[in-house]
Order: sequence, then structure tokens, then C-alpha cells
Amino acid sequence: MWKQPWGYAEGWAICAGLFFTGLVLQWHFGKVDVDIYRYPVNILIGITWLILLVSLSFIGKKRKIVRWFSGIKASLTAMISLLVMVIVMGLTRQVSPGADLSSSGGISRLGFMQMTVSWPFLLLFFYFISVLGLVTLRRLSSFRKKDIGFACNHVGLFIALTAAILGSGDLERMRMTVQADQVEWRAINLQNELVEMPLAIELHSFTIDEYPPKLLIVDNFTGKPQPENYPQNIVAEDIPMHGRIMDWEFSLIEYLPMAACYLQQDTTRFVEFHSVGATCALYVKAENKKENIRREGWVSCGNHLFPYISLPLTATESLIMPEREPRKYTSEITVYTQNGEIHAATIDVNKPFTVNGWKIYQVSYDESMGKWSTISVFELVKDPWMFLVYTGIVLMLLGALFLFSTAPVKKEK
Amino acid sequence: MMNWNSFVYFAIPSVMAWSIGAGMAYKLHKERMAILWTIIGLVLFSVFMAGLWISLERPPLRTMGETRLWYSFFLPVAGLLTYSRWRYNWILSFSTLMAVVFICINLFTPEIHNKALMPALQSPWFAPHVIVYMFAYALLGAAAIIACWFLLPANRRKQDAGIMSLTDNLVYVGTAFITIGMLFGALWAKEAWGHYWSWDPKETWAAATWMGYLVYIHFRLYHKSSSHSALGVLLISFLLLQICWLGVNYLPSVQGTSIHVYN
Repeated sequence: MWKQPWGYAEGWAICAGLFFTGLVLQWHFGKVDVDIYRYPVNILIGITWLILLVSLSFIGKKRKIVRWFSGIKASLTAMISLLVMVIVMGLTRQVSPGADLSSSGGISRLGFMQMTVSWPFLLLFFYFISVLGLVTLRRLSSFRKKDIGFACNHVGLFIALTAAILGSGDLERMRMTVQADQVEWRAINLQNELVEMPLAIELHSFTIDEYPPKLLIVDNFTGKPQPENYPQNIVAEDIPMHGRIMDWEFSLIEYLPMAACYLQQDTTRFVEFHSVGATCALYVKAENKKENIRREGWVSCGNHLFPYISLPLTATESLIMPEREPRKYTSEITVYTQNGEIHAATIDVNKPFTVNGWKIYQVSYDESMGKWSTISVFELVKDPWMFLVYTGIVLMLLGALFLFSTAPVKKEK
Repeated sequence: MMNWNSFVYFAIPSVMAWSIGAGMAYKLHKERMAILWTIIGLVLFSVFMAGLWISLERPPLRTMGETRLWYSFFLPVAGLLTYSRWRYNWILSFSTLMAVVFICINLFTPEIHNKALMPALQSPWFAPHVIVYMFAYALLGAAAIIACWFLLPANRRKQDAGIMSLTDNLVYVGTAFITIGMLFGALWAKEAWGHYWSWDPKETWAAATWMGYLVYIHFRLYHKSSSHSALGVLLISFLLLQICWLGVNYLPSVQGTSIHVYN
């Protein structure tokens, strides 16, 4: 080993060396603090590192060792070592990189539960992109037209990974909880600190649009929907309507989307209730012709104010309305920026609003209040390196197209 | 209304058409018939998929059963493309057989007909992301079975350059598709969750799968003669793919932490 020409053994040794060095660093210093490579440190690291890679690739034309680092043996060993780390990450329960595990002992001290900020992972990751960079520079230095697919894939991956890792120091993710009819400008960052934001949000309304209610038959003892191996349900779309589950015929007579329940001595009734806190209820007639049983009554999923009401069918089965499934969460807001801009916006899941480099996402609400929640929780994200990462992604997408054409086309019989 | 109860009436005729096509592929000068019958099967199958899509009022891509449906559709598609390009006479029987396995799983483990689609999945990225992945899985599944077959002690001698160039083709195209699926996923995640990559367990295993196939591609470029090791890498990569697709729902390290689990 370590005699020229280097082979795979040297590659494995380097990766193992990085891994164990990482473990020692992790043991003594704990996880890598992302804050240390905030702007402008990350820019400086990036530029220094790029200059180093480029100068190495120039020297590399004569030096065997540098050529080795830009060859298949270094690539494969680096790739497989990183793959092993990713598999370990997949098999170990991960906790948020911001969480503090320094007091817990054992395996967590080796950093495997916060893999993405652990020294062994980051050293191997850094080695991997360095090799990727050298490989790419070597091929690009003698660029021919047929290398275009190679270039897209490798340059794209290099840019995306470099920008992602260097940019993670500048990534800001905040949670902001806003009360209806109030203006909020403070948010909680990933370290759970309250910070003042350069923008403020006024929440006009938060609404949940729900799918129509469903009815299921459940077993009273196990709570499982019936028939057990192939549960069926009725979706109450156009009332009045009829539906069937097993031997039961159901007539859905009346639907109150906004209802209040009042309980009398032995009856339960629902009436229309157009106000905050309303639940929904269905009046159902059930008939089992086979066993000649008839039942009728109200069924409701209930909420934080009103009880959940089922319709007993037999001693063992009941008709129930499970909690309604949300179709859409929407917040109507106004955003005020520091330089005096005012924007009205509607924010849904999958439809964030972008202002001054910040993206505002709908993430949560008061779940105990359900659709009557008077708060809405937003995530505010700023990632100044996004543009570079997207450039990498677009290059890789182009590169993927080239993979089709570079596939060996030989037809063998 | 098309629902899972009507699946069997489309599945059986489709499988019959694919089987006829597969049989034709072994006969001389019947290539066109083989292709035609496979297409007929695909059309029948896609009628069911379209019907289900319409009756669910959302793309049938949410539950495991629905993704298996696409998988059983794309296997014959992959077989057909491979056949029409390289004319391996056995590839259609093989893709049909694999499709039958997944159709049977769907027939014997039925699912609730549920229209609800949670807000996070209501995105123009949803259909392309999953469809591209399912197509890739079909190609890579085919490559894995071929690898298994030729790694059996009885068949080791039969390996030849032709087989390796077939697995190479399947892996190149499959990897191109998982790359696209993964990157679409990243672009979507940015719109839905605020960040393009969060190392969610599904993402972690998707990265592992992707890297596994990259190892295969790079290994093959420089070690043409060690086909056994290459096929071994292919099997390991497919195992990673299986963990990513199905295993993530069961892994103890994942319980309750993945936002990628939809019943």
C-alpha cells in the first residue's frame, strides 16, 4: 500500500481514516456548528476550496497522486463510503440537527443520530465532493462534444451539493404564529429563540375546507371499520342519498353542515347553528332487510364543543362519522415589509408567498380547535443560495436526458 | 363508477393480451403481433386507471395499492420498449409475469376507495414525481430479476456481453428516471415543505438508492469483465430501492418521523 500506482486499498484507507478522524473529533467537540460557516465565512471557504481544486487539477496533469484523486478508484471508494453513511443514517432514528444531545451518552455521542451535522459524515461528504470536483475538472480540461452529458451530470451535482452545504449556514427557517386580526413580526428560529423579523404578517382569516363527511360501520369492540378485510364507506355528497354497506341500506335524509347538538333525557338532537364552533351532523335511516332491523338517528363526528354521536346498529356494530378530512388550509394575510411595501396574499399548502427573498408557507393551526382555529402558523424561509442549487438541479435534469442517449445501444442476439 | 371492485374485469383481459403478445415474441416474424397485443393489454389496463382517476377525482397515486397499479402498468411498458428496441424474445414473458405478481397483490389485498387527498399532495408535481419513479422502479425491477437469474449457480456460465448490455441499458434509463423523480421531488418539496432536501427517511433512502445505481454505472465503466460483482451491486441497489419504496413504512428508525407516509 501507498506505493504508486495507488489502487482501491488506498481509497478505502483514506475513507476509513476520514471516518475515524471524524469519530474522534465528534467525541471531543460534539456536532459541527452550522453557524460557523455563515456569510461571509462560507463564501471564503468556497472560494479557497475552488482555487485549491483548480490548482490541484493543473498540477495533476503531471502528478500521479492528484491523477489518482480524479480517477475511478477514488470516486468509487468515496461514493461507496458516503453510501454506507447514508444507509446508517437511514437505519438510525434521526433527531433534529438543532436538538441538544450533548448530555446523552453512548451512540448519540458518535453523532449518528444527527448524521447531517456529524464530523464523520461531513468529512466523507467533503472528500466526496472534492473528488467529484477533481474528476469533473480533469474531464472538462480536455472537453469534447460527447462529454456534454458527463458535464451536465457532474457539474450539476457538484454545484448543487456545494451550494447546499455552504448555503446551509445562511439558511433561515422561522416559525411565526399569528392570531386572527393581529399583526405579528416575531418568529421562533430553529434554535427556539424568539427573533424579530424584517417583515410583519396580519392574519385576516384562517379557514379549513373539508371533504364531505363519510359514514362507516365499525365493530363496537375493536373499533375497526367493516367488513374487516375490505372496509367500505359512504361519502355524503348529495343529500338526500342512499348507500349500502354489507347488508345495510342507508338513507341519508338530512345534512346539517353547521349544527349544534343538544341532549335531552333519552334523545339526541341536532339543530342548525350558524356560529363559531358548529359541527356537522347527518340524519340517517338504516335498514337490514336480511335480519329485519330498522334504526334511525343522528350521526356526528363532533368537535371540541360537541360530542361525537354514533348510531348503534346491532349489539356489535355501529354507524359512525369519522373526523372530516381537510381538503385545503387557507390563510388570508397582509404582509408589511420594512421598506413600507404592503402585499395582500392568500397562502395554501403548496402555494407559498414570496416577498423580499422570504417564502411564507402555511404549516399549521390550532389543531384542538380544528376548523375554528383562530391562529395560523407560518414558516418563513430564506435561502440566498437557492439560485445556485436550482442551477445544479437544472443541469442534472439535462444530464438525465443525456443518460438515455449514452446508454450502450448495442443490440445483441 | 369505476372502483377497485371492477379491477378484476380489466386485469384478466389485460393479462391475457400481454400473454398472447409474450407468446408471439417467441415466433419468427410475429414481432408486430407481439407489440400489438401488448399495446392492446396496456390500453385495457389504462382504461381502468383512467376510470379510477375520474371516479376518485384525484390521481390514483396516493396509497400503496395505487402505486402498485402504476407499477403493473409500467412493467409491460418497459418490456415493450426493451423488446421493440433490442428484440429480446423473452423480455415480454418476463415483464408480463412481473406485472401479474403485482396485479395479484392488488386483487388479494383490496383497499378502501378513498377520495380524500391531503393538501400536501395537491400539487402539479404529484403525478410526474410518482409516475416517473414508478416507471424507474419497473425498469430497475426488471434489471434486478435478470441479475438474480444470472447469479444463480446453474446460470452463471450463461452470462454474456449481451445480458450485461441489457442490464446496462435498463439501469441507465432507470437511473435517468430516478434522477428526474428525485429532482422533481426536491423542487416540489421546496414549494410544499420549505426546503428542497430535509433528509426525511424517504429522502435518505432515495439518496441511498440513487447512489447504489451510480456505483453500478461507474463500476461497469471501468470493470467490464467483473460482471458478477456488477450484478451483485445491482441487487444491493434494488434492495435499497425496496426499502425506500416499501420498507420505510415499517423501519423502526422511521416510526412517526417521516412525512412521506400516506397510509
